[in-house]
Amino acid sequence: MKQSKLINRIFVGLFLVFLCVMAVLFLVLPKAEYSTVERRRLEDAPKITWAGIRDASYMDDLEAYLLDHFPFREQLRSLKAFFAYDVLGQKENNDIYVVDGHAAKLEYPMSESSILKAADKMKALQEKYFPDAKVYYAVVPDKNYFLAEANGYPSLDYEKLETLMQEKLTDMEYISIWDTLTIEDYYTTDTHWRQERIGKTVERLAEQMGFSEYVMTEFEQKEIKDFYGVYYGQSALPLPSESMYYLTNDVIEQATQFNVETNQTKPVYELDLLEDETLMDKYNIYLGGAVAIQTITSPLAEREGRLIIFRDSFTSSLAPLLLNAYSEIILIDTRYVSSGFLGNYVDFTDAEVLFLYNPLVLNNSTMLK
Amino acid sequence: MLFSSITFLYFFLPVVLLLYGVVPKQAKNFILCIASCLFYAWGEPIYLFLMLIQIVIAYGLTQIMEKKRDTKAGKVIFILAVLIPFASLFFFKYFSFLFRELLGIAGSSMKTLVVDVPFLGKLDLLNIVLPVGISFYTFQLVSYIVDVWRGETAAQKSLLKLATYITMFPQLIAGPIVRYKGTDKALDDRETHVKDYADGIVRFAIGLGKKVLIANTLGDFVQEISGMSGNSIALAWAYALAVTMQIYFDFSGYSDMAIGLGAMLGFTFPENFNYPLISGSLTEFWRRWHMTLGSWFRDYVYIPLGGNRVGIVKWIRNILIVWMLTGIWHGAGWNFVVWGLFFGVLLMVEKLGAGIHENKDDLTQKKSFASVLWKGIMCCGRHVYVLVAVLISFLIFNGMTMEESWQDIQNLVCAPIWMDELSVYMLRNRAGILLVAIVGATPLPKRLWEKLTLRFGTEAMCEVDSKTVTMSMIVFRMIQIIMVAILLLLCTAYLVDGSFNPFLYFRF
Repeated sequence: MKQSKLINRIFVGLFLVFLCVMAVLFLVLPKAEYSTVERRRLEDAPKITWAGIRDASYMDDLEAYLLDHFPFREQLRSLKAFFAYDVLGQKENNDIYVVDGHAAKLEYPMSESSILKAADKMKALQEKYFPDAKVYYAVVPDKNYFLAEANGYPSLDYEKLETLMQEKLTDMEYISIWDTLTIEDYYTTDTHWRQERIGKTVERLAEQMGFSEYVMTEFEQKEIKDFYGVYYGQSALPLPSESMYYLTNDVIEQATQFNVETNQTKPVYELDLLEDETLMDKYNIYLGGAVAIQTITSPLAEREGRLIIFRDSFTSSLAPLLLNAYSEIILIDTRYVSSGFLGNYVDFTDAEVLFLYNPLVLNNSTMLK
Repeated sequence: MLFSSITFLYFFLPVVLLLYGVVPKQAKNFILCIASCLFYAWGEPIYLFLMLIQIVIAYGLTQIMEKKRDTKAGKVIFILAVLIPFASLFFFKYFSFLFRELLGIAGSSMKTLVVDVPFLGKLDLLNIVLPVGISFYTFQLVSYIVDVWRGETAAQKSLLKLATYITMFPQLIAGPIVRYKGTDKALDDRETHVKDYADGIVRFAIGLGKKVLIANTLGDFVQEISGMSGNSIALAWAYALAVTMQIYFDFSGYSDMAIGLGAMLGFTFPENFNYPLISGSLTEFWRRWHMTLGSWFRDYVYIPLGGNRVGIVKWIRNILIVWMLTGIWHGAGWNFVVWGLFFGVLLMVEKLGAGIHENKDDLTQKKSFASVLWKGIMCCGRHVYVLVAVLISFLIFNGMTMEESWQDIQNLVCAPIWMDELSVYMLRNRAGILLVAIVGATPLPKRLWEKLTLRFGTEAMCEVDSKTVTMSMIVFRMIQIIMVAILLLLCTAYLVDGSFNPFLYFRF
């Protein structure tokens, strides 16, 4: 009897000790300010206020704080991912799936109305700001284009997407770049393409926009180690890091970018960001990451010309490769600035215009202001 | 506070269990009551006072009622004592719904009607927020008052003990509906045996796993396909199955956690679910599903109305009243009324046809091949009928409107194709959790566990008079410990990774 009681006591004791140890660890372990793998600022400890207690928002904030700083958080997230993938046999975790070492985020179903709205917004910009300019548009294939359908995952109907855009944007010239890329041209843990592997895409753009003879071919390729893309954190799977490279030469190094929001001029590659411990995404070294409006000036460009690109983050790594063909490139991201105010900041005269969006933006076009 | 929250699991629970364990017996009710009030106030501080006021009123009125039971005044007090909790339930749960419906009939399109209420502040009469758990604690209060009135139990002399009974955090916000009659002795004097404590931990961990690992994951699946169930017939059925399983694992998981926590605190709570989805009839289903609610309606509504010892017309009336009330207990909406009546009608049909079934059972006594085959077919047919009826019922239950529910039901047979590529992906992606849910909804895992328990003699080990403990017994208990640890870690991992964590039954 004593022995059986002892075993049960050990059981109860272990249970209580486990709960208490986790609680104590939470209290004593240092709290991180940022989660680099998830690329977000973690919750701060909520302040106790009467209003917060009365409407229970304090309790919600406290739970969020506990979840964000729970001991062994990353290991627990990996455990969940392992259980979902390997035990329950899910084909994705948090909408991230992995095929042949490439992580991608599911995007479906296709919203035709969103794509048509995106096209309408592009058309409205053309009519308002640059009705007489030469306007081009291209769709950057996302990783699902290469991975989803071929591996049994739901995907967008890319042909339909292309057709919808073409039917709407009759006054713009379409540049198809789908066949200039393969899945190997993308980071395995990130949504973006690799700058060192988009030469064919640049050539295709140059061919149709008429700057083939100014395409740069000689670069020095510099390595940045231990790059973990956005899907690494979201998937919570033990994916390996990879190296990212940036291409540079005299033309790029002499060029500068001016950020309209901060009024600051910086080099094209913001390598000083790598020294910043709070840097969430190393991809931000390309033109400083998400910026509403920025102007790149290229004093060594072989051709005088202005190009305005309405863009998403893919263009950050593409634009530097065009700096020999245009002495000024203006990048506009209408996810961060309202289209209605653009006239106050951007001179559209004598400029060519390129719309360059990936399908994830087009399929969620409410983010375009 | 949610059981499946970090706040509860790693802060509230260990502190309460340790405090509760170290204080003397006389102080246990006090600790439990204070902890329960904190638990309730954590989510809805204002409504804690509503509950406490009702407890104080019920306490006062039952003291008087008990003394004046055989007088007219006693009857008036009894009616008043019962009306107060029901009026509160009606106001917070049904008033907005009825008001909106009346305004709709009158042709008004008013969406809000804000008034100032002392203590509560501004109150929108058309969108009154439902206090968490009000349906559960109202039914507990009423059962206590009625039992005292009937003389089946004595009125509780201690306000603290009554408050402890009503507010007890394991069962406060989602049941099971614990009757005072079965708890009164434990409120006065209880002991927690270490075996019960250990078993309570296992039960709690299983419930947590059912809620976090199965119900929440099925909830993700339901959300994923909620707009797509019209894509294919296969997806429409998968949706119905996932909705049903989600509700079952959510609710039964909560009940398991409550029973487990009750055991840790020295209480024996009634079982609430007994594998309802294996039932061979809807009558059996309701004997296995939310058993404490079913027995409450039986004892406090159906039998007082005359039960089945009346003429057929009155019996039909009684059935319809009980099932309409069961429906609207679950929520203020027409879909809940239809849901209740759906079961009411089918149960009536079953009961009326019971005699015919009995005759068929007699035929099978001959044990000819044909009769055995017929019995087999009938048995399968009965299970299929129950499952289809239950799946349809939960589509009614789950819809935001009757139109939405009707569309989901139509999709089961009218979706344009049997299966498309998207459906294949969706089903493959969630096949694992669906399989776990289907197996988990049957007694198979429990039977396997019982066989293993017998094989290794662990049960014997846990008996008080057990004298020998073998190595296999120790290993078996260690396996239990490891399983509980794995479940806790996995549940924590799911909580840390995701934010999808609503308890479905909170809105009741």
